[in-house]
Amino acid sequence: MKTSNLKHDSALKHVTGQSVYVNDMDVSPLQLVGRVVYSPFAHARIKSVDYSDAIKLKGVAAVLTASDIPGANQMGPVIHDEPCLAETEVNFIGQAVLLIAAETEEIAIEAERRILIDYEEMEAVLSLREAIEKNLLIAPVRYITSGNADDALFNAHHRLEGELETGAQEHWYLETQSALAVPGEGKEMLVFASSQNPAETQAIVAEVLGIAKNEVDVEVRRMGGAFGGKETQANHVAAWAALLANATKRPVKIHLFRDDDQKITGKRHRFLSRYTIGFDQNGKILAYKVELNSDAGSSTDLSRAILERAMFHAENAYYIRNISITGRAFKTNLPSNTAFRGFGGPQGMAVIEQAIDRIARFLKKDPVEVRKLNFYGIDKNNLTPYGKLIENNRLHVMYERLWLSSDYQQRRQQISIFNRQSRFIKKGLALTPVKFGISFTTAFLNQAGALVNIYKDGTVLVNHGGTEMGQGLYAKIQGVAATELGISPEFIKVTATNTSKVPNTSATAASSGSDLNGMAVKAATDVLKSRLIPVAAVELQRAGLSSPDPDKIVFAEDQVYQAGSPEVKIPFDQLIQAAYLAQVSLSATGFYKTPGINFDRDAGKGNPFYYYAYGMAVSEVSVDVLTGEYKLLRSDILHDVGDSLNEDIDIGQIEGGFIQGVGWCTTEEIKWDNKGRLLTHSPDTYKIPTVNDIPHEFNVELLKDYPNEGTIRKSKAVGEPPFMLAFSVWLAIKDAISAVGNHEVEPEFSLPATAEVVLMSIEKVRRKE
Amino acid sequence: MKGKGNVIRFLLNEKLVEIDFSLLPELKPTTTVLNYLRSLPFHKGVKEGCAEGDCGACTVVVAEIADGRLRYKSIDSCLVFLPMLHGKQLITVEHLASGEILHPVQQAMVDRNGSQCGYCTPGIVMSLFGLYKNHRDPSKESVMDALTGNLCRCTGYRPVIDAAAIACSGTENDKFAKTEPDVVIRLTELNSDKSPVTIENSSQKYLKPMVLSDALRFRKEFPRAIITAGATDTALRQTKKKELLKEIIDISDVQELKYFREEQDYFQIGAGLSIESLRQYADGKIPALKQMLDIFGSLQIRNLATVGGNIGSASPIGDTIPLLIALKAQVELKSTNVARRCSIEDFIIGYRSVDIFPDELITSIILPKPSPERFIRSYKVSRRKDLDISTVSAGFSLLSVNGIVEDIKLVFGGMAAQPVHAFKTEKFLLGKPWIVKTIRDAMEILYNEFTPLSDARANAGYRNLVARNLLLKFFEESKGHPA
Repeated sequence: MKTSNLKHDSALKHVTGQSVYVNDMDVSPLQLVGRVVYSPFAHARIKSVDYSDAIKLKGVAAVLTASDIPGANQMGPVIHDEPCLAETEVNFIGQAVLLIAAETEEIAIEAERRILIDYEEMEAVLSLREAIEKNLLIAPVRYITSGNADDALFNAHHRLEGELETGAQEHWYLETQSALAVPGEGKEMLVFASSQNPAETQAIVAEVLGIAKNEVDVEVRRMGGAFGGKETQANHVAAWAALLANATKRPVKIHLFRDDDQKITGKRHRFLSRYTIGFDQNGKILAYKVELNSDAGSSTDLSRAILERAMFHAENAYYIRNISITGRAFKTNLPSNTAFRGFGGPQGMAVIEQAIDRIARFLKKDPVEVRKLNFYGIDKNNLTPYGKLIENNRLHVMYERLWLSSDYQQRRQQISIFNRQSRFIKKGLALTPVKFGISFTTAFLNQAGALVNIYKDGTVLVNHGGTEMGQGLYAKIQGVAATELGISPEFIKVTATNTSKVPNTSATAASSGSDLNGMAVKAATDVLKSRLIPVAAVELQRAGLSSPDPDKIVFAEDQVYQAGSPEVKIPFDQLIQAAYLAQVSLSATGFYKTPGINFDRDAGKGNPFYYYAYGMAVSEVSVDVLTGEYKLLRSDILHDVGDSLNEDIDIGQIEGGFIQGVGWCTTEEIKWDNKGRLLTHSPDTYKIPTVNDIPHEFNVELLKDYPNEGTIRKSKAVGEPPFMLAFSVWLAIKDAISAVGNHEVEPEFSLPATAEVVLMSIEKVRRKE
Repeated sequence: MKGKGNVIRFLLNEKLVEIDFSLLPELKPTTTVLNYLRSLPFHKGVKEGCAEGDCGACTVVVAEIADGRLRYKSIDSCLVFLPMLHGKQLITVEHLASGEILHPVQQAMVDRNGSQCGYCTPGIVMSLFGLYKNHRDPSKESVMDALTGNLCRCTGYRPVIDAAAIACSGTENDKFAKTEPDVVIRLTELNSDKSPVTIENSSQKYLKPMVLSDALRFRKEFPRAIITAGATDTALRQTKKKELLKEIIDISDVQELKYFREEQDYFQIGAGLSIESLRQYADGKIPALKQMLDIFGSLQIRNLATVGGNIGSASPIGDTIPLLIALKAQVELKSTNVARRCSIEDFIIGYRSVDIFPDELITSIILPKPSPERFIRSYKVSRRKDLDISTVSAGFSLLSVNGIVEDIKLVFGGMAAQPVHAFKTEKFLLGKPWIVKTIRDAMEILYNEFTPLSDARANAGYRNLVARNLLLKFFEESKGHPA
């Protein structure tokens, strides 16, 4: 039964407008609208709060402050440094101070207007550079080292030093943060959330309400996009809605207005990285010393793990014998930065890609030669800085294939000719690789559970800990269950993720959704099949098969039969009927943990990843040297997903991830004013890619015939790795700028490379020419 | 039907809806179509993504009568006030399928994996439906144009583009083609009454004249009222700034203002003409204008926004204004008893400020036909090429005789509080040879001529450089070099 082409489980509902998101839910005429009143100052003392006029307003059901929180005033997911509502001090613009529940949004807005909060403004730290200068560390400094970078740099033929700024990025999920909290009897609280981590949402709701976790039930049917932005920060709206629902004993829904969402929630961490790289005359990297400095914002959130992943990807696909990686996360008075597709990986990789680009220009080589020269080896030169051996390296085979399929060599020549003849339009080309580690680097998170029920009519209900945010996880899981049980996908329904069905799950994050949950579902179907096999043997014998062998029973095409004797078969639904009558349990749980993951943070050594996913891209751009504007002419992508669980869905992840990366590298610029006010707080000024921003020619291929042993049906994770393929676009733009100075001058460059950055860089290249 | 008063009538899909605002206090005349739909049972497919017309998640299609047929327009429902639906058919995503049978655009989206998280999908489906009704075997440009106003954060768009091409190929054969004659009859009936809609409640007055004479009369009677046509600017005051709009005159259905006339020496453009209609008329006739309008907002915005609105709002970054000033366009204004004309340059007197009397309406734009010897270009530089507000925009017009600059107009948007001439640079160039040397010198003058702002879009230094370089681009293009 082919399940590798299953459609997204909700495709029909999406196109007909029938999919239900949290903001589409109205559960009771008593339902209220929740509103968050947040700080207008980046750093201030709260001198007084007066909401007496607001609470008098007709239709206002509750106004809550920190002192009204029955449980812990805390919603930090790992480190408890993030109050649910500010008490005496606010630390960023957007920090929640009060909550309002009202009958309509209009009333809630009017109530907010009547609230008087007296703030005393304090000095705020708004730039990462300032936080670094003042050493405002939010977490211990971390190191990963291998060899002796200092000595090797000293002895290297050539050295380059530099600094790279990589910008923040707004998730811009189409569905803003939302939650609907419905109080039940006693202390019970049911929360419909748009969360990547229902178990953590459950925990935080229980903690702020001061109740046990078994009183809180969190359900997530689907999210309208998440990209990491709903890994921890979806907990916030859920906690706020639950507090209001608890106080009013009425259902309360919070759905953030777009501008509020952009102002309140954290973003991709911006980094300011400094590096020294040493190399020989061929471009072989001899040593690399890099400091990765991240802006955590006002609280820790996931900043430690994100910094760690940045460090794990500091060398990307390149073997560097002598390397020293230092990671620091700093506190500033901005919203707490959080998970975003790639989870620090892109920020770490950007630096080495920029450094290699510089080496190539310094040596007057095509950067692709320097990259190839430094790729991790197959049998040697294959030890990562943290001591994991690279196995099943796909870089070389992918390079050979993509180099040919993208016609790299010829296009490089054509572009050189074009650039010699064209004064005002310059073209650029770049090939960049991605090697991305798969697993949660916090080892214990690599676990998942599933619950599979078979009903008497032979239909199957699958529940697992993963959440559906558009990535097609439910369709992949449906395919896994169908294949394992040998029945048609239409008999399998994957239902809303629910903490009362599968408990203690990890976030759907780190690209791990199908790896972990697919295996957990398989574990459950294995249990069910082991219970059904004896029943099948009896039934097959009854149908005329003499002495059936339980070891040879096959589940396929909605039947069971014995291998070698397909003529005697029992329909699956009939088997289920028989099993029910034989008093066999038709419900099973499954559990999976990734084997062998460990990492010693103090030593900076270990095995933090189960395997790596690889990708490679070639992109060509043209740049208007008079305005700095650019066009993405062509991208060729070759990506490694092992044996694909679902090719259409995997290609969708690759294309979507790549374009999101292109946005980060090009037009998505976040700006604050000198008071810490976000200037780019709506799509009016914050520009994600439109349909016109994709490559004019866009070729995406999966690496075929390279199965991944030890994962669900030999597949690989796909959510995050393609994001970083966008460096091909970023560096192609730089290549075009460089052409203005005939590749003699190293262009100034940063990320995002907005038209403004590009034009300013071109001007400087011209002046140095 | 007569004396509409508080009542509006429109078709919601196939159902006649009659809204009497005096009986439904939960609805305001400024309730947006988006919020209205989402307040109904079974109409929550339409989504709010940004409430400012920048994402298209709220896209719906409105059908209206034109030349005895239906014209289908995709619009952003977050920007449209409910009374603007009067006499039209509102088509929503829930209505496209016939039972289990999906509309071709829906089927193509399923087949090509066009949805991931699904939140933008209803809006995309409606944009594709608009494309389906307007284009057979659409060009790549038409497909991209139909989708520019719909942001998707998941797919990378490629499958959506594929779906568009597949769904819109071949003959048009959907249920709407079959019901069209009936809908035409029903809408004709709804539009037969030309008396105004006048909706009043304790805090708002919403006047919707159907003829120009009523519009002018209302304007005189309620001089403080906001004039709105497409509402793409006005609606933001409510959706974003949470302002209560107290008095509104909605001229969106004054048909007399929707025309494009070509005379011997000039074009006359009705103030109520949509930007999209103007874009189509400008094709082949006014290339520099067409070029600018191609990247004006999105199709959903252009279907709503009007020529008069773009000028009346006098935004410093209004895309069309620099070119119109460079072309010496005039605006025609009318009150109940007087009509006058005024150059657009004089009409715009400051930041979002125009020289208009409180009883006047902008009724048309008069655009002189430039002499064929003139070299004319418009430019727009923005962070993102499409659906973005310009960082710098420009309209340039050159008349050179024997290589000497006889007349030159260099008008910029985004460089000052209002669109302005680069007077110093123009003066410098006048009478000089149109050669590289002159341009190099002029570029230095131009670089220092303005003191623009640094803002969310760009820094002042970048704006100065772009302004300077656009002159070089203009020069090169005038010499026939693509730049």
